[in-house]
Parts: sequence; structure tokens; C-alpha cells
Amino acid sequence: MGHGHHHHDHPHDAAGTDVPAAQDLSVPDGELSPSDVSRRGFLRGAGLLGAGAAASVLATPAAAAAGLPHAHGPAGGGTAKGGFRWLAGDHHIHTQHSSDGQYRVIDQAGHGHAYGLDWLVITDHGSNAHARIGVEKVNPDIQATRSALPELLTFQGLEWNIPAAEHATVFVHPGRNEVAVLKQFEQTYDGSQLPATNTEAQNEAMAIAGIKFLGEQVKARKVDGALFLANHPARRGIDSPHEIRNWRDADPSVAIGMEGAPGHQAAGIKAPNGRGGARGLYDNNPAAASFPGYPLEAYRTWGGFDWMTATVGGLWDSLLAEGRAWWVTVNSDSHVNYLDQSERGPGSDFEANGRYNDPVYTPTVNTGAGDFWPGFYGRTNVGATSFSYRAVMDGLRAGRVWVDHGRLVKTVDARVRVAGDRRRSSGTPLGGVLHVRRGTATELTLEIDLQDLPNWAQFVPVLSRVDVIVGTVTGPVASRDAFTAPDTRVVKSFEVSRGSSRLSVTYPLGRLDKPFYLRLRGTDGRRTQPGLLGAAIDPAGPKLDVIGDADPWGDLWFYTNPIWVLPR
Amino acid sequence: MTIEDLPVIGVSLEHPDTVAAEHWLAALPTTPVLACTHLMRSPRPHVALSLVFAGEAPPSLGPPCPEAAAAQLTRTSGRAVVYPGVRDLVGTLSVAEIIARSAIERVEVLGGGAADHTAMVDTGGFVRPHWRAGVLTLATTPAVGDRLVPFETRTPTPCCAAH
Repeated sequence: MGHGHHHHDHPHDAAGTDVPAAQDLSVPDGELSPSDVSRRGFLRGAGLLGAGAAASVLATPAAAAAGLPHAHGPAGGGTAKGGFRWLAGDHHIHTQHSSDGQYRVIDQAGHGHAYGLDWLVITDHGSNAHARIGVEKVNPDIQATRSALPELLTFQGLEWNIPAAEHATVFVHPGRNEVAVLKQFEQTYDGSQLPATNTEAQNEAMAIAGIKFLGEQVKARKVDGALFLANHPARRGIDSPHEIRNWRDADPSVAIGMEGAPGHQAAGIKAPNGRGGARGLYDNNPAAASFPGYPLEAYRTWGGFDWMTATVGGLWDSLLAEGRAWWVTVNSDSHVNYLDQSERGPGSDFEANGRYNDPVYTPTVNTGAGDFWPGFYGRTNVGATSFSYRAVMDGLRAGRVWVDHGRLVKTVDARVRVAGDRRRSSGTPLGGVLHVRRGTATELTLEIDLQDLPNWAQFVPVLSRVDVIVGTVTGPVASRDAFTAPDTRVVKSFEVSRGSSRLSVTYPLGRLDKPFYLRLRGTDGRRTQPGLLGAAIDPAGPKLDVIGDADPWGDLWFYTNPIWVLPR
Repeated sequence: MTIEDLPVIGVSLEHPDTVAAEHWLAALPTTPVLACTHLMRSPRPHVALSLVFAGEAPPSLGPPCPEAAAAQLTRTSGRAVVYPGVRDLVGTLSVAEIIARSAIERVEVLGGGAADHTAMVDTGGFVRPHWRAGVLTLATTPAVGDRLVPFETRTPTPCCAAH
């Protein structure tokens, strides 16, 4: 069902050699035309020129290096939304090769596929046993799964103990060296393999070196691609804002984003039918290694989402407002699944074997488990140009990604266009950058197919409202530990009329006078409260999840990644 | 003689976490009237303590930690473990009762401002307020059964738990 991505000429290609004179600082002011001098002054004033802009979407060479799409929409006008084939996936899944896991690869992949996923990543914890043998032992199972389920793209990755920080998904394109690269990476850079005497600074440097190592393996053609996503980033407050910025800058072709929502979404289901804990297992408090600037609100989930993503004008927005491309995803983090009836294989010796024995059936229903099977609840939807490992990685890298919980909506096609341009083949998609001349009118076109099929909880979710969130792009921040974006807010909300099958709206974004970005958020409308930065910023944001009584099916949201509009 | 008039001792045994710091605190021969934990960044992340004794302090508590003492003196930061009334904060109490029974001056709901004085808080016998701008403040979050619970739980999910 996929289609080719037809390359064609377009007027503003983002190649490094193609920088407009106003943006090319090697061209002195004196050699510019008067209009370019004025444009350069404008760009400089907006923080879009000079050092610091280089690591962002604001510098076209860097954008190209990061695989960012340029200022045109997908070509070809394929059968799927926006000319892309949207592939649903999950990048955070554990198996019997994790010290706290139990399932076979095929257990997880089979369920994920049955529940509608097109791709997934097996991410067992970095550990002594995994680094020594597990990372190799899991591979034949993954290969067998690829053969058994050809309609599912099964990546091998691992869950990296980021030195000095939280965990991260790391995965590579399948190939001859997939295990060798992952194994070398884990043995060299996993937090579990580093001396306990390391200082924080040494560990932070190791994290950066690890990301760079992955990029080097791609450049050396060992693997066809490698990606990094920070997992449950605010859970314990130990992913400081400057570390996140450093990871991105270490290699923007590898470090692409973070989990917008953690897994473990069943953990807040009320006892005795559920675990009765905190949604996402976000029940920690500041520790000595936590970033001292984070408020207590950072340690809990809001409508199931991580505080960094859930807060309008918060940490995620502070990165986007800088022009720093950083994407969000959702996942299952499946270890042991809610209402499953299996348990770890008896007689296991994880340390010796690098895995637990295969799970066995029990007559007991596990109501205390906090996880859902992959695909059961959350989806990371990637706009791909074809059904392939590479296309999924490219789509992720480009930020052509929207996420939802509980199948809240069927499809999302959001594009920013020059006002009036309605060509099917044009419009800048999620993750993209539209460059237009100052004064050009742009608009958002949004088409959402509302859900008409029941989800895995057997009801048809109803989208109640869609929010358009817009932020001014301010360029590089003075402090790399900044985590607010004061100019970002909800600018428009669309109520969805009940019973409709489609939401189709156009929202004018005005004539470009300063660079900005937008992102979208939708909700079933059941649980909202004013945003943490005030009702003027976010009148009806996600609500703090209730400890011990957070029904994941009664509080559904979708989020899209951003689109930037920048002056040419 | 109020607590404010008593000397503050800052001490750091470089405890890795609050659990270890509280364990050490519980083993002291003399119970302080006020004891807070303080998160320290250097030379490596660790937990220090500030202690206020009504009488003679036990000898040789450990290496001094002026930063912890200063945080307690200025009441700018710190997490109170021992404070007046802490032993009476058990079971389920209203916000008003918590404020009446203990040194806690303010109860907040995370992301929602001050808690209603009639709201019921399931203390779990584990109540760890923080100094915030000179006010001993207890942060709470909504919990099952229309109750509030203290923000900090005694048994948070450990990293890489076998869950």
C-alpha cells in the first residue's frame, strides 16, 4: 500500500550550499542588497543567526544534517494521509531478556501485531547479563519473529542506562552488524558498565560519547541507522534540561526525542481490579541526583503524559521555541501485562543464562501488573514513505509523528500551507519547516478522521476538543537548563461536534512577522484543569492523575509533533 | 525558648538517599526537635541533614555541612522528617487537623494551589513537608476515594523494579 516518494525540484532546498545570502554569515553585510541587509537584521534580532542557531532547525545545513524535511510537503499524493503511509509502533518493550521481564519476543510481537502495530522495538535493559550474553541471545528470537511476522517490522534495540540520567531506547536498523554494534555500545557506554567512582561530569560526557558512537557506526556503514529516545524523562527528575540539549547536539541524526508519555499506563487502575498505583508508575520524589530546578509537578503524570510534554510552555516547548527539533512518542514499556495469566518460567537462572525460561500459563489473573501489551493502548504513528525499517527510522527522524492513547482518533493530517494553497501534494507536514518570505500569510489545514471503530477496551472513543498550540521561536536560550517557553500558549480550540465522522478545519496563522511553531493536542475532554503556567496559557490542559484511581480509558489524549514557520 | 532560638547543626555523612539519612537519624541517641534532609550536589549527589536539639546535641555527629544548616536557618529549602507534631500525623486527618496538630503551616495540592481545609488526607504515617519560602508546606496529590495523599510516598517504585 505504500508509494514512492517522488523527488522533484523545489525552490528552497535546504542544502548546505544553498543558504540564502542573508543567512550566510560568510557574506559580509556590505555585500548584501539592502533588502538582504534588512532581512539579516531581522533574522539576527530573532536569534536565528550565528552560533547556537546551528544546532537547530533555524540553520538549514544543520536541518539537512538532521534529516529534517524542507519547506515542501510530501510529493506523490499517495492513497494515505498527507501522502504518507502512517505506521503505528512502540519503541519500548521488554522480554525475558530483561531482569524484570518475562515474555518471549514472539509473545510481545504477536500481541503488538494483533493489536494493530506495524513496527516495534525490543528494548531489554542494559545490564551485566544483557551486555555479556542477553544482547546476543535475543537476536535469533528477533530474526525468527521477523520471519514469522513479515507484516511487522521488529527492530532490535536496548534500554540504555544513560550515564548520569534516566533510561533511553537505543535501536539500530536490522543488518549483519546489528548485534555487534549494540553489544559494543552497551559494553562501553551503559551506566551499569561504568565505574561507580565516575563523577556526574564524567558520566554526562559518557552519555554524549555514546550517542556520538552510534552516529559513527552509521557513518562507517556498520548499520543503516541508529536512533535514541529518552524514556520516562521526568520520572525521577534526573534528566536535566542541559543533558537533554546535550544529547540532541551530540548527534541530531541519532538523538531525536523523548517519550511524551511513559508506559505502565495500567498502573493507576483502581484496586482490587488493578494495581492501584500511580499512572505510568510516576510516584517518585526528588533525589540527590535530581535536577534541583524541577518542581514537584514534574514527578507525576498529567492525563497520562510526562510533565515535560504535558505542560504548555514547559520543557518540551522550551526546546521547540529554540528551534531545537525534539520529538515525542508514546509506548507500552511492557514488562508484565495487566490481566495476563502467565508467569516467569520456573527454574530460571537469569544471571547465568541472560534470560528467564519461557513463561508458563497459570490459573491466576494478574491484576497487579501495570502494563498493557504493545499496541493495546498507546500508538506512535509515523508518516513513512514505504513499509520498511528505513522508512520508519526516517519518519521518526523527521518528526512526522503523532501519538495517541486508546485509539482516540483514526488519522491526523496536519499541514501548514501558504494561505490558499490547497494542492494535495503540498503543505508542510509534522516535523517540517516551512520557509516563507516575511509578510506571507500561512494557515494550518487539519483533517482528522474521527474514530469509528472500537478500541481494545471495546468502546469507540470520542474526540471532544482539539487545541492549537503556538509558540514564538526565540532562538538559542541563554541557559541550557531553561525549561519554560513564556510565549507558547493555546491560541485556538476546536470543539468537535458529536456524531461527526470528520474534523476538517483551516486556521489562519496570519502574515509572518516573527518565526513560530505550532503543535496540536486533542482530548476526550473528560479530565482537564488549567495548565501549570496559568489558564491564560492553557485554559483546559491535562489533569493531574489520581493516585490509585486513574482509569486510562477515561482520559485519552493525542499529541502531534511541531511544524515550524520561519522567514526565508 | 522556641525552635527558632536553638542552634542548627548541619551534618553530612554523604548518605546516598533520604532512606539512608532517615535510618541514621532514627538511630541517634537523642531525638532532635527538628530534622531536615537536604539534597546536595557536590562533591557528588548525596543527602545531608540539618538538626536542631532541645538540649545538648550528641557528640561527634559527623562532618559539618554549613549549606544544610544555612538552608534550615533561612528556611529556604529542606525536607522535614522530625518536626513538632509529626508523631500525631497518623491515619486520615483533615487539612485543618494537620495544621492544628503539627508545625506544618500550609497544605497544597500539586498543580492546584492551597488545599481545602476540610479535605481529608490519608497520611500513611509518612508526612514529609518542605520549607518553601519560609513556610513549612506539605504537598499532596489527589488519591483514590476523594482523599489526598502526601506527595511523597514511603515506597516509591524503584528504578528497574521487578514489576
